Amino acid sequence: MASWTLIVPEGLLLAGALVALFAEVLFPGGRRAGAWSGAAFAALAAAVSIAAGSGAALFGGQFAVDPATQVARTATLLLTSAFLVWLGGAGLERERVREFAALVLFASLGALLMAAARDWIVLLLALEAATMPAYVLMGFDRGDDRSLEGALKYFLLSMVASLLFLYGMSFVIGMSGSTLLAASRLQPGAVGVVAAAFVFAGLLAKLSAAPFQWWSPDAYAGAPAAAVAFVSSVPKIAGLFAFARVVAVLAPQTAATGPLLAAAAVASMLIGNLAAYPQTDVRRLMAYSGVAHAGYLLVGLATGTVAGTQAAVFYAIAYAVPSMGVMLVAAQYGATLDALRGLASRRPWVAWATALMLVSLVGVPPLAGFTGKLYLFTAAMRSGWVWLAVIAVVMSAVSAGFYLRIMRAMFFGTDESGEAPIAGSPASAAVVVACALAVIVVGVASSPLLAAITFAK
Amino acid sequence: MGISDLLSVVVFLPLAGAVVSALVPKTRPEVAKWVAAITMGLGLALTVWIVAVFDRTASGMQFVTNVAWVPQAGIHYHLGVDGVSITMLALSSLLGLIAVIASWKVTDRAPTYFAMLLLLQVGMNGVFLALDFVLFYMFWELVLVPMFFLIGMWGGTRREYASVKFFIYTLAGSVFMLVGMIALYLHTGTFDMVALAKAGSTGALGIGFQNWVFLAFFLGFAVKVPLFPLHTWLPDAHVEAPTAASVLLAGILLKMGTYGFIRVSLPMLPDAARAWAPWIAVLAVISIVYGAAVAFAQTDLKKLVAYSSVSHMGFVMLGIFSMTTAGLNGAVAVMFSHGVVTGMLFLIVGMVYDRTHTRQIADLSGLSSAMPVMGGLLAFASFASLGLPGLSGFVGEFLSLIGAWQSAVIPHWITVIAAVGVLLAAAYMLWMVLRVVLGKPSEVLRGLPDASTRELWVLAPLVALTLIVGLYWSSLLAFVDPAVKALVALVGGAA
Repeated sequence: MASWTLIVPEGLLLAGALVALFAEVLFPGGRRAGAWSGAAFAALAAAVSIAAGSGAALFGGQFAVDPATQVARTATLLLTSAFLVWLGGAGLERERVREFAALVLFASLGALLMAAARDWIVLLLALEAATMPAYVLMGFDRGDDRSLEGALKYFLLSMVASLLFLYGMSFVIGMSGSTLLAASRLQPGAVGVVAAAFVFAGLLAKLSAAPFQWWSPDAYAGAPAAAVAFVSSVPKIAGLFAFARVVAVLAPQTAATGPLLAAAAVASMLIGNLAAYPQTDVRRLMAYSGVAHAGYLLVGLATGTVAGTQAAVFYAIAYAVPSMGVMLVAAQYGATLDALRGLASRRPWVAWATALMLVSLVGVPPLAGFTGKLYLFTAAMRSGWVWLAVIAVVMSAVSAGFYLRIMRAMFFGTDESGEAPIAGSPASAAVVVACALAVIVVGVASSPLLAAITFAK
Repeated sequence: MGISDLLSVVVFLPLAGAVVSALVPKTRPEVAKWVAAITMGLGLALTVWIVAVFDRTASGMQFVTNVAWVPQAGIHYHLGVDGVSITMLALSSLLGLIAVIASWKVTDRAPTYFAMLLLLQVGMNGVFLALDFVLFYMFWELVLVPMFFLIGMWGGTRREYASVKFFIYTLAGSVFMLVGMIALYLHTGTFDMVALAKAGSTGALGIGFQNWVFLAFFLGFAVKVPLFPLHTWLPDAHVEAPTAASVLLAGILLKMGTYGFIRVSLPMLPDAARAWAPWIAVLAVISIVYGAAVAFAQTDLKKLVAYSSVSHMGFVMLGIFSMTTAGLNGAVAVMFSHGVVTGMLFLIVGMVYDRTHTRQIADLSGLSSAMPVMGGLLAFASFASLGLPGLSGFVGEFLSLIGAWQSAVIPHWITVIAAVGVLLAAAYMLWMVLRVVLGKPSEVLRGLPDASTRELWVLAPLVALTLIVGLYWSSLLAFVDPAVKALVALVGGAA
């Protein structure tokens, strides 16, 4: 197949976003047509992404798809499609569904580019393309001050992060005389370390990893839970993937990479897991959970080995699926622990699917979360980071405490509000159940996925 | 289908049953219990078949299945049984069926309840059959989830606290096991537990490495056993759990810990095991004496049985770390007998509680005059528990003590204190029997019915096994002995 087919998924997403924006004109009367058509475009793009294969590069090597990139892009597209199906069927009285759908598709487009970017400038642009729509999504409740405050914090920190990244990147480009990632050269000594540190700082902030995590709990708690469900999970796959690319290029050139990333990993795991404990708002809780999981991902990157990077990409998928699923449940049935009380008796299927996803986030086998952690910790210990692996496993056990709090509310609590149960739609429940099934399949049949995550030289 | 596939069927049949049970509509709860009973009955029948065709003279693994699962990470789907694991599998299959029949009157969210019991069975059977470390860990952890829900959704008044404590305690232990497991893999390049046992016994692993891996596994296994001072989750979980869950918790889940020591710590890390044995023996003896002493002080019958478990599991640990043939045979015998006898005790306590809604010893005095059959069975189970010769409890404790005395690694004074523990067990059990069975009839018991036919059927197989193993030791030890001898030869302990 011609190499230009590689970029067809991007084209389909762009078309889908434009269709979604004008959905009410194109499909009169269909209030959710934007979401449904967007889901169809994303699913089609996923199919094209699989069919287009990998191996070729476009635009003078600035854009390339190797098998691992293809996995990251396909996973992003499938999750985007699933999210839009949920949005179409959620039965929420959310105004402006079409804008929401279009923004999601734009963000997803940025994420796709981010995964395939092999050039510093393209990477920066893709990063921005993925983040810009997210600012709007996070501030989607225009009338709510908390939502605006959260979105503003997200915007400011994200801008700072971009600038840090840009600053570091300018050093790297200057030292290597080329904007291609593969051509990056760091000069030995302090200047190389400083450049790498700035690049990493920018990427860490985008990944909501410590020490740049403090924006995420406030931003998430103010934002509509549906926006959090998307922003906190789907773009992270591509984000982690781009991070892994950069690490693969810079790690061989400065010995500081491992210690820097390991320090960020430890801080993320400690802050994320411990700060999640007192939270009663599921959005806040999942924000800290996201920080913690960013820490596990960094354990893989800190190893600087192919196995570690492979495990991190695998884990990014194993994290994104249940994280989105749990937040979708919170978006539909209530974003506080009290609102979820007794969900098991009202919506048993949704509750059990959520329990499965939470247990996977804890890392209980044979689910995706466990398999991912097994690969991550094996890679870490193989390259001598035994103490890092020990902190990571201890923190996994600690994380059980706050995930179990959600399960306790759903299963052991009884609904005392006396309110009529929220009507769920079959489509949105199906998405949550599908996420839960994906967690089982990825966990049990990890071998083909792991085999697909291979990197071109 | 060859006979080796039978093991896979035994493991995953309950999973199919769990799915079917979960899909039973809420309006027909009685269907779920039949699904569960038929699944567990089939599982038991298959297990009996496996036991019948098992070659009792061989020491190695039998009915082995081994196919690659995740080749990139060296993970295999690898099952097999030897004399130790077949004993545990038989116990697990039997108690699984008994747990279902003992839950016959559960109507609250019955489809989910029976699905959880069946899911638990998958994990329990799997742990004893898995020969790949990752598979072993999967089944090990799988057990946590259904037990968490069984305690948390159908438990007593403090069920939320007890279920979370149980989950986090055991998870915290087992994550260290994960680290140990990965370390072994990186050192030897395999997750194959048979190959790892060989590697351990040929001295391929240095003592420094062995020591810290041993510690990692110790944390995982000792929490499950539970060994003093890691036992504090047990009384809470036992007391709050519904009767069937208590039976499986005491009968099977605790044995997973000691099974881990036998299957992993001893053969794979023999040098570290020898070095640590005296210290573990000290903890075992503290468990024996402390469990007995605390059991003495209990006013709640279920708590008394729970603490007696701590004491009995101490004997298992003592037998294992004697690293002798007699001691290990004794350890496995106690594991089996404790599963049967403690299962019986929890069932009787549950049956009495269903009638009286109290477990206070003071409220239950004169049980045998109000319910002669129930009282008699309680006395029988108590005698078996305290180790009366002729009943199953005696064999294992006797052999464990012999083994500990013969052992080259355990000082004699430890064995002497453990023997005193036997007397303590006799004392607290007899005192309980004195108060409950023979005491002045309590008002609470007036006019309550004696054991029903269903209840007698639940207890009958356990009574029969207690007598058979007690009177005819070799019925059990014929299975265990070859595997134990091979293990002792492998770790190079005294014969």
